[in-house]
Amino acid sequence: MSEKMIYIHPAPVRVWHWIHAAGIVALVITGFQIRYAEMLGIMPLRDAITLHNYVGFMVIIDYFIWLGYYLGTGKIKIYFPDLRTFVPNAIRQAKYYGFGIFKGDPNPHVMTPDNKFNALQQKAYVGLMFMLLPAQMISGVFLWRVKGYADYVHLLGGIKIIDTIHVILFFFFASFLIAHCYLATLGHTPLAHFKAMFTGYEEHH
Amino acid sequence: MKKLKEAARSSGLLFLFVFLAWPALVTAMDNGECFDCHSDETLTRENNEHGHINNLLFVDEGRFNRSVHHISGLFCVDCHTDIEALDYDNEVPHARQLAPVQCGNCHSESEAAFAESAHMQIRSKGISMTCYACHDYHYVSYLAGASVAEREDNFCAKCHNPHRSHDWLPKKEEHFAFVECTVCHAPEVPRHIHLKFFDLMTNKYYQGDEILEILGISYEQFMPLLDTDKNGILSRQEFEALELMLRQKNVHAIFHVELVAEMDPAAHQVTAEGAERNCEKCHTPESPYFNAVTIALPNKDGSVDHHRVERAVLESYSLRHFYIYAGTRVKLLDLIGIVLLGGAACGVLGHLTIRVLTIRLRRNKDK
Repeated sequence: MSEKMIYIHPAPVRVWHWIHAAGIVALVITGFQIRYAEMLGIMPLRDAITLHNYVGFMVIIDYFIWLGYYLGTGKIKIYFPDLRTFVPNAIRQAKYYGFGIFKGDPNPHVMTPDNKFNALQQKAYVGLMFMLLPAQMISGVFLWRVKGYADYVHLLGGIKIIDTIHVILFFFFASFLIAHCYLATLGHTPLAHFKAMFTGYEEHH
Repeated sequence: MKKLKEAARSSGLLFLFVFLAWPALVTAMDNGECFDCHSDETLTRENNEHGHINNLLFVDEGRFNRSVHHISGLFCVDCHTDIEALDYDNEVPHARQLAPVQCGNCHSESEAAFAESAHMQIRSKGISMTCYACHDYHYVSYLAGASVAEREDNFCAKCHNPHRSHDWLPKKEEHFAFVECTVCHAPEVPRHIHLKFFDLMTNKYYQGDEILEILGISYEQFMPLLDTDKNGILSRQEFEALELMLRQKNVHAIFHVELVAEMDPAAHQVTAEGAERNCEKCHTPESPYFNAVTIALPNKDGSVDHHRVERAVLESYSLRHFYIYAGTRVKLLDLIGIVLLGGAACGVLGHLTIRVLTIRLRRNKDK
């Protein structure tokens, strides 16, 4: 089988990705500790809150680095699906993940630097990066300084409403982490996508 | 005989004098006579021989009359026990320097708790703390209905700036706003959560009588109206019914929630080093700090009527302006979390299992 190495992930994207990944993992762990302080003994609650706050701000800064890079290079468009082809592409991709992958069919999406996400990834990431992650960051900042942002907190219905948004999104991101790590094993070898996120090169077969 | 008559007349006069003068002595113990002088706003006492330090001796009768001690029926001389009689022949009708008031004569348990406190220990540094340094001299007021901010402003914050000594505490602003100092600094004091009606539009607490007037009931009718199962505690449903009643009356009050110390002598046993620093003591659903939850209906004099509320109300969206990490988490969100995480894990495991089971199929295809 012929192999071709294509440079898909530029260095800034890889650095951003791993900082973001480490941040999300740390936020999930400390998030569980904060919510279930009486059940988990990973670290004292006080340390969990402090760490959660610091890492949260790190992820926020990292997010704006990502946004700046993608806006600055114009690559932001890879996150937005082509509405004319989106539905058939999404169905084709879902069929692949649901059936074709087990039979050894080729992935219908061919990754290129300008089109690295398949239709399902585009759908997931556009919601994730432009809606859910900003909502999580904003609700997190409000929870960080409830008194300081009291007016906004009241406007949005109260701290319990903000907390509800933050917690549901927290569970969503924790679930996403599981799915994301698993989906990353669906390359031509289980570690192919992991390697690519370090080297920048994806192998095409 | 004449002497005897004179003696009898003298005795009679003496008896008559004592009999007539007695009410005057009694009156001397009545507050009115004290206020004859002490209601003068310019009444001062020169406190040293050079006359450089003046102590104001004015007592605001109106404020005094609203104080706990007056409401409880105490007179000035019940505390100033060294005034036995007033002698108006003197410029000052009682001793110029009165003995310090012994609050412990009545508040012995509080005095004993105070003796064990950090405020007593500072005497070794030459700083003497008195009861009235915190409680004021003549205007001791009810505290049970006071908010955390009022309690802090009128007591601890007079001397302490909590921002300078709580760097270790995450979210200290929030703690200072919702938790009374003594909740942590008097570890033995009983605590409770109290819920007060608060109007976000006017930024004011509703007085108990205002809420009752809106509901069209009296204090006595409050629980009978709401506590439909007659168990003495408002359940979550009964609490929601109260919310609905207020909304129907076009009142959009929120419940302001605070963790406060009860009016207990142990509140005086304040400690710095022994203060509660274990966050998990409070931030757990089993925390004993939330065992008592009450609706507080404050009266105008500062006293308060407490009505018990089921603890589960803390986890409800009725109290959407209140949340304690881990302590009052909404159980429904845990369920959503289990569904999301379980769904992701099951999806991954199911997909992985099929991938493993179909390895042979793909190998055959590759061949």
